[in-house]
This record gives sequence, C-alpha cells and structure tokens, in this order.
Amino acid sequence: MNNGKITASSMWFRQSMRLLHHELRRGELTIIFFAIVLAVATVFSLTGFSGQIKHAIVANSTNTIGADRVLRMSAEVEPSYLVKSQALNLVTARKIETESMVFAGENMLLTELDAVSDNYPLRGELRVKTSLAQAESVIANAPAPGSVWVEPSLLSRLAVNIGDVIEVGVAPLTIAGVVTDIPDRSYRAFIAGPTIILNIADMATTELIQPGSRLTYKYLFAGESEAIATFEDWLKPKLNDAQRWYDAKAAQNRLSRVLDTSEKFLSLASMLGIVLAAVAVAVASRRYGQRHQATVAIFKALGASIRHVKKLYCLHWALLSCLSIATGLVLGYGLMLLGANAIASYLSLAEAPLTMKPFLTAIITGLLCAIAFAIHPIMSLVQSSPLKVIRGFSQEKTARFGWHQLPPLLALFLLLFMFSQDLVMSMALLLGGILVSFLLLLFGRGLMSAGRGVGTKAGKSWHLALANLKRRASENSVQLVSFTIAIKLLLLITVMKSSILAEWQQQFPDDTPNHYLINISQAQIPELQQFTEENQIANQGFYYIYRARLSAINGEKTISAEDVASQANSSEQGSEQSNEQSQGRRGVGRELGLTWRNELPIENKIIAGQWWQEGDQQGQVSIEQNMAERLDIKLGDELTFRLGSDEFTVPVTSIRQVNWQSRQLNFIMIFNQSVLEKFPTTAISAWSVSTQDRDKVYRFMANFPTITLMDFAAIMAQLNQIIGQVSVAISLILILVVVAGSLVLIAQVQASMEERERELAILRTLGARGKLLRNSVLFEFVALGAIAGLMASMGMEIGVYILQSQVFNMTGSFHFQYWFVGIGAGAAFVGFIGMLSCWRLLNLSSVTLIRRTM
Amino acid sequence: MHVNSESILTVKNLTKLVQVEDKSLTILQPLDLNVVEGETLAIVGSSGSGKTTLLSILAGLDLPSSGQVYLKNQPLHQFNEELRSQVRAQHVGFIFQQFLLINSLTALENVMLPAELANLPDAQARGEALLSQVGLADRLDHFPSQLSGGEQQRVAIARAFIAKPDILFADEPTGNLDSKTGQHITDLIFDLNAREGTTLVLVTHDSKLAARCQRQVEMDSGVLTETTKVDDNTPLNQEEFTSNQATDKKNKLDANHKVTQAG
Repeated sequence: MNNGKITASSMWFRQSMRLLHHELRRGELTIIFFAIVLAVATVFSLTGFSGQIKHAIVANSTNTIGADRVLRMSAEVEPSYLVKSQALNLVTARKIETESMVFAGENMLLTELDAVSDNYPLRGELRVKTSLAQAESVIANAPAPGSVWVEPSLLSRLAVNIGDVIEVGVAPLTIAGVVTDIPDRSYRAFIAGPTIILNIADMATTELIQPGSRLTYKYLFAGESEAIATFEDWLKPKLNDAQRWYDAKAAQNRLSRVLDTSEKFLSLASMLGIVLAAVAVAVASRRYGQRHQATVAIFKALGASIRHVKKLYCLHWALLSCLSIATGLVLGYGLMLLGANAIASYLSLAEAPLTMKPFLTAIITGLLCAIAFAIHPIMSLVQSSPLKVIRGFSQEKTARFGWHQLPPLLALFLLLFMFSQDLVMSMALLLGGILVSFLLLLFGRGLMSAGRGVGTKAGKSWHLALANLKRRASENSVQLVSFTIAIKLLLLITVMKSSILAEWQQQFPDDTPNHYLINISQAQIPELQQFTEENQIANQGFYYIYRARLSAINGEKTISAEDVASQANSSEQGSEQSNEQSQGRRGVGRELGLTWRNELPIENKIIAGQWWQEGDQQGQVSIEQNMAERLDIKLGDELTFRLGSDEFTVPVTSIRQVNWQSRQLNFIMIFNQSVLEKFPTTAISAWSVSTQDRDKVYRFMANFPTITLMDFAAIMAQLNQIIGQVSVAISLILILVVVAGSLVLIAQVQASMEERERELAILRTLGARGKLLRNSVLFEFVALGAIAGLMASMGMEIGVYILQSQVFNMTGSFHFQYWFVGIGAGAAFVGFIGMLSCWRLLNLSSVTLIRRTM
Repeated sequence: MHVNSESILTVKNLTKLVQVEDKSLTILQPLDLNVVEGETLAIVGSSGSGKTTLLSILAGLDLPSSGQVYLKNQPLHQFNEELRSQVRAQHVGFIFQQFLLINSLTALENVMLPAELANLPDAQARGEALLSQVGLADRLDHFPSQLSGGEQQRVAIARAFIAKPDILFADEPTGNLDSKTGQHITDLIFDLNAREGTTLVLVTHDSKLAARCQRQVEMDSGVLTETTKVDDNTPLNQEEFTSNQATDKKNKLDANHKVTQAG
C-alpha cells in the first residue's frame, strides 16, 4: 500500500500550516500574539529611546566639556597651576558658573549664568544666532564685553528681544544673540532657569562676586596629549577633595550613569506590564494546549509519531513567536519615533543610530515570554496519549506548585537581571513581587468569598454573579492583582497631583516664610533689616552662610558614597580625579552650608549636649540629629572642615532635632561665632511676605540687583512640574499594565468559555431570561473590578500615608473621595472588558447555545 | 476483493489490570482471540464489561498487562508508543462513537489526514472520492461544527477508509446517533468494508448491529466468550450486498439530507 510516497517533510509542513491557518481565526493565538507584541514593543521602544537619548547627548556630541581637561573648584585656582600649564604650551580658558536674578524692566527671572573668557570653548562648538530670522546658527566664542548670548526661552519669559538690554547683577548687558548649542551644557534635574553666557570681563561690573558667593570656577585646558599627560601627572597630587579634574569621557560617564539609572528604573517598572503579558501568554497557551488535546490524540491514534506532532506544534510556536516579535519591533520602532518627536524641541534624535542592544533585549524578552511561559502546556500537549480518543478528554488540572513553574520563574529572573544588571536586586524584586502578589491574592480571595455571602441575599443576578466569581476565584486572582495595581497607580497619580501638595501647603501657619533672599552682602544687611522692621515683615533674621566640606571625623578622612562608586567604576572613568584615598570614613559627599548662631534657632531642639554661651571663645559645633546618626557622630567627636584653603577642627557639643518641614532656614551644622566670623561671606534670609506687601517688597528689592529673591510659589511650580513629569512616566506604566491586564482578562474569559456556555445553556433550559443571564455575567466582572478598586484604594491610602509621613512629614489623612473613583473605575473598566469578551456568548440564541453544548 | 484465512490479529493470554487506589482491578481476564483477514467481528457486552479496553489494546492504543497481541504479525505488546503509532498508520483505521474529527480542519482535510500520515500519494483525490461515496461531495470545505452528527460520522467513515487499512476498529459507531441515522451509518460501514475487503472489529452493545457481523464474541466482566460459531469465513456474498446497497442508496441519501436539515 505504500506505493508512490510523497515526501514526508513537505507533508508535516502542510499539515502544520493548515492547522495554523484555521487556528488563527480562533482566540488564543491572537491573545498570545498581542501579549508578545506588547512586551517586545515596550522593551524595544524603552531601550531604544533611552539609548538614542544617551547617544544624542553623550556620544554624538564631539565634546561635552569644551576642552581636553577641566579643573572644577569652588574658588580661584592657584596661579602656579596656570604658570605650569603655560610652560607646557597648554591653552587655557576660564568659566565661572552661578545662579542669579536678571531684570528687564518690571520682569525678573532666575537664570544660570556662565561667564566665559574670550577663547571659550577650546573644544566643541558654541553655536549662536544673532537674529531670530537667521536659519542656520553660526559658530561663536564668548560674547563681546557688554553683551550676552541667551537661551531662546529667556526672550519670551522676560518679554525681551535680541538687541534689548537686561540687568545682570548691577551691570546692564545687551542681548547679542540666542545660543543654540552649548558644548558643556549641564543636564541637571533642577536648573534654575535659562542660561546666559556673558564675557568674564563683565563679571566684576555685575558685582555678583562677593565673599561667600556660591560660584563654580572652571579652568579649561587643551593641547598636545603628551603635554596634557605631563600636566595631569604634575597636578593630580596637588588636588584636594573639593577640586575635580576630569576629561570628556569622565563627564560622559557621569551623565551616562544618570541616564542608565533612569532607563533601569523605567525598565523595571515596565516589568510589571511584561510579567502580566507573560501571564496572558501562559493562560492562553494553557487553554490552547487543552483544546488541542483531541487533535493530538486523534493524530496519534491515526498513526502520527510524537516527532511528527512535535514538529507540527514547534512550527506553530516558532512562526507565532517570529511574527509577534517582528510586529513588536515594528510597533516599538513607531513608539520610539513618537517619543523622539515629542522631545524634538529639546533634543534631536534624528542622527542617533539604533544600536543592537534594544533589538537583542526586545527579542530575548519576546522569546522568554513565548517559550518559558508556554513550554509546559505545549510539552504536555505533545505528550497527550492517543488512548484519550477512547477514554475521553478531561480538563487536566495541573498541580499548583511543581517543576513546571521553574521555567517561568527562571524567565522572570532573567528578565529582571537583564534590566537591572544586579543579581541581589533581581532576587529581591522577584521574591518581593511573589510576596506582594501572594498577599493580594489572599486578600482578594477573602473578599470574593465574603461577596459570595452577600450575594445570597442580593438579587438573582448578583447571586449567580458572585457565586461564579467565587468559584473561579483562583483563575480570577491574576486579573485581580493586575487591575489592583493599575488602579492603585491611577489613584496615586491623581492624589499626588491634586491633593498632597495642596494639603502640604495648607498646613503651614500664615507667617511661614514664602520668600528667600540669597547673596546678601554684609553691607546690605542693616538696610534690609530696617525695611523688615518698618514694614513688619516676619523673618528669623539673617544667617551668614559659609560653604565647606566635612573633611575628617576624629582625624579620619571622610569618603562619600559617590567616591566609592566612582572608584568601583574607575576603569571606565577616564582620568577623573576623585579622592586619592581609597579607604576612609563615610562622609557627606558635598559641600555643606554652615552658619554661626548665638541663640538656638526656633524649630530646633537640643536632644543631647548643651548650647553654648554667647561669646564663648572655644570653637564648637552643633549637629543635626539625622546626620549625626547617618555618619555615626557622637558628642565630643572632633570634626574637621575645609573652607576654601583653610581647615579647622571643632568638637561636637550638642545634637539638635530640626523640624525640616517648617520652611524656615535650617542648618545641619551650626557653629559658635568665634569659629566662622573671621571668614568673609554673604548672608541669606527667609521672609514671610503678605500679598499686599508683595509689590512693595519687589520694588524695594529692585535696588539690590545682586541679591537673588526666590519666591516659594516658583519653587512649588517647579516641584509641580517635576511631579507632572513623574506622572507621565507612571501613566505610561499604567497604560502598559492596563493593556496587559486586559489581555490576561480576555485570555481568562476565553479559557472559561466552554464552561460559561454550558452554564448559560443549563440556565436557559431551566427558563432563565436573557436579562438575568446578561446581568449575571456583567455583575461578575463588575464585582471583580470593584474588588480590585477597593484593594487599590486601600493600597493607595497606605502609599499616600507613607508619602505624607516620610516625605512630607505631615499627619496622615484619608482620601475617601478617591475610593469611589477607584471602585467606580475598576467596576466600569473590568465590567466593560468582560462584557466585550463575552459578547459573542451573550448574543447566541438559546437554540444555538443549547445545541452547541448539550 | 480478496479472501484468505490468514490471521491478521492474534491475541494470546491477554490480561489487563488497573490500579485503583491501593487495589488492583482486573478489567480483562486471560483471553485468546484470533481474527482472520476479511472477517467482520463484533465484540458485544454491556457498559463496563471491558470491551472498549480490549479494543484499545487490539488497536495498539493501550498495552496489555500481560499476554501477546500480534497485528499483521507485529508484536504490539513489545512495541513502544512510537512503534505502535507506525503500525496504526500503516494498517489500522478507526471509527469512534464521538466521531472525533479535528474541529479546526475541514471535512476534506480530516479525511486526508491518515493518507498523509501514511505518506500515500493523491490524498486529496482519494479524499474527495470517498466523501462523495458517503454522500458529502458538496460539503468538502465544511468544518465539523457545520455538520450534523450523522454527517460527521460519515466524514469519520471516509477518513477510516482512505488509507486502505487492513483492519478497521469501530467503537460504538452509532452510539451517538438516532436509530434511523445509525442504520444508515451501519449500512455505509458495511458497504465500504465489503468493497474494500477490510477486516472489521466492531465494539457495540447494539445486538442488531452486532448481528450484521459474521462472528460475535461477548465480553462479560472481563471474560470473553465466543457466541457465534461461524463455519464459513467468507463474508457476505458480494452480489447480495451490492444489490442491497443499490436498492437502498437513494433512500439513504434522502435520509441523510433530512438529517442535515434537521441538524
């Protein structure tokens, strides 16, 4: 009978394609397809987008520091350093960075000031437009003395044009053009305002440089690499820990690290959505496996070998994976373009090339989802016994815990590790995630059981709905967890945006300071003091401020956490000069603002030791409680500070508790007068300005252009802006979670479809009306969504309480109005998606329903 | 059609035990059976008597606990799943009570399947011919869900014959059908069987259906007894059968259409 054989290889292929062709019209593969597409597109767009941003900012720019090397410090350089560099034929440029108010008529604005020498920049390009009509910017150096280059946003915010005069400090300077590219632009989260570039020769006329002013001095060096190396060898041993010596690579690495951290954070947050997508794959493939049992058993009964069956399904899975990964990449690319378009006005990504990383990461994610989460159902499908054709097909229950859960867990761990590159963190996130899901599951199951009890007393539809909800509790758990998380995110965003900040601001008494004055010279203090007294402006007086580093504790040199990190990465850091010491005691890692005081400031409480007597000649310091705990400093410890080129050591004689939420001027380190009064400095002050006094204060302050006046409302506006940006990031994660959660829900509904059909058929036969059936299905999903909303609301309250008590130091409050939002949104959305996925079922005529199932 | 007295299926000392909790339950007591080529054999018995278990062992779907089963001289009891599936692909055809068509394949694709698995040429042409023989020429592209029970079983019959099996196992082929449709399906099976000269082993509790076989054995609590001693191994006279079929043919097709419409 085996005459004229056809090739076996083409036969299995044709059979497989035939099955796939018909299968595509059914549901499970579509769910699996969309779930993989979602995971791949998310990972690809996220990784690709951040990679491009990194490239555009870091790698693509020829130079990010405007020189070959930069020496950064908070004071002027020793002249001998410059003499040495000249002797080595190095070119030098100077730059002073500070923040200051600028004025144009009635308007004033806080800006970033960059005062540069004529030959700035030494490397890279500074590009300006001298007229707004000009299409192309031109390469420039420092503006001529008496003029400035400004960033475009300054023009609109101060309502000025090119050619107008603005006041920087006390110097009137003409806007000569707008700057489009700054080679050593800083990318910090908090930037006071637009940048103004002025000639360093004008800095003296602005009168902004005063003893104690907060300035950053940068010395830019360029030249032959050998000469640079010789200079570096000569210079490095001379530097102290307040001076930083770095090249472009080190600066780029620093920036890359910041970008990497945000990419890592976003990737890990999006893991939430990816895990849900993977769960959708698992649920859909389990049903796929169950539904294909008959096919496999028939194939085998008719003589197909296991190898043959394996080939059929491996081909299905391979095609499905390839197709969905490819679609995911295309969709991800589209999302990336959208993202690039959205930030086009800040940063052009047009020339940033795509690296292999996003492709690899996305493909690995897709493969892990497609394989690890489907391998168990597919393998047990292939193993289906042909005897089932005789014995019948039972819905096999897989054990809840077993070896089959190893591949998904391993895949989750791999994904976490791929995104975090951190073994401990991946482990912690995996275990934490399992724990949180478990708790939510437990709680959700409890609520579903409780609902069952309530349901018996409610109407018939509710009774049926809640009974079904409880019976399918374990299947429903996943959706419950995912919608709980989604709704919680939604509520947190809403509450954060609309309530917390407002509540925080409301809790301050009326005389709380709302204006801060910075850079006040000693000579200006009496005049300002007189003004506050005459106008009865509440204030806590003037604080002299000194910037210094804590350099040693009990003679042991300090080292900051940042230094430890930079040393760990020193191989990729270029020649960044950090701390010469590799070992040392934990320090603060930044300059501290110091002050001296005769009386203990209000909102401060001594919790150990004693406050000093006025006129005490022996130097003493009082330290804030939290800092003392963090650095393990005790009463009597000797602290050494470096202030400019001076160093002094004083004992700790008291530890203070400080109310940081008071919006008063607070200090970590307060000294007695004798320690600091010999150093020249400026002062700061905090005023409480009432609405009616506002204009008077602003008119008066216009006489002191070197003083920076900061309105608390402006700081709040900036804070709101940051919260807005964070909300956008959370919203993206929220959308991802909602879409993935919906996929899980639809997959789960599909998995229960036969059972639902059978139930409806029975109810129909028993005479149930269409409305009862529809409502029982609708209420089941509404109840599920409402439970998720309830759990999310509770979760939100916990989250908000933590924010209020830990971040804002407020007393916690309930936000019951948002509970309705959470429960309502959950019930409406889950009800809608559930009804949508049951639509076909509910619209079957009774006859069809009964015929199909009986 | 060919007739000879060579054994196609030989069973010696076959038993089947299953473990139920801690106890072992005897489903089949030691039994012997011999089926010769071209023979039609009915295994009758009440539900739970073990007849279906016997069928699954005879067809190589299951293994006996002890004893030997030779199908076409191949020792099925020594074969693993893979080897048994090869034997099935080459020699065995099936008709099930539940029809067991693959829902995602069309009628024609379902019929073609065994031919493809046995690597036979022109599976499609054969499938079309067989479907038209069972009166479904116009339903080639219909899916099982679009066919009535009787039509589904006719597709299953066409599928059972396409690979020209040496032996056909039918498990309660009319069990899920009304008596009129069941009668028609029975006619079709015996008709095609006679034409193809296939050996038929039929499991049923329907005595009328069993009576159409040349030989009957009865299963009772795992014990097999020969109930009909047939001296002459020759199947029904070909001429007689053909004429029966000819007179009935029109009626059957009409009946089928009615079934379809009713379904």
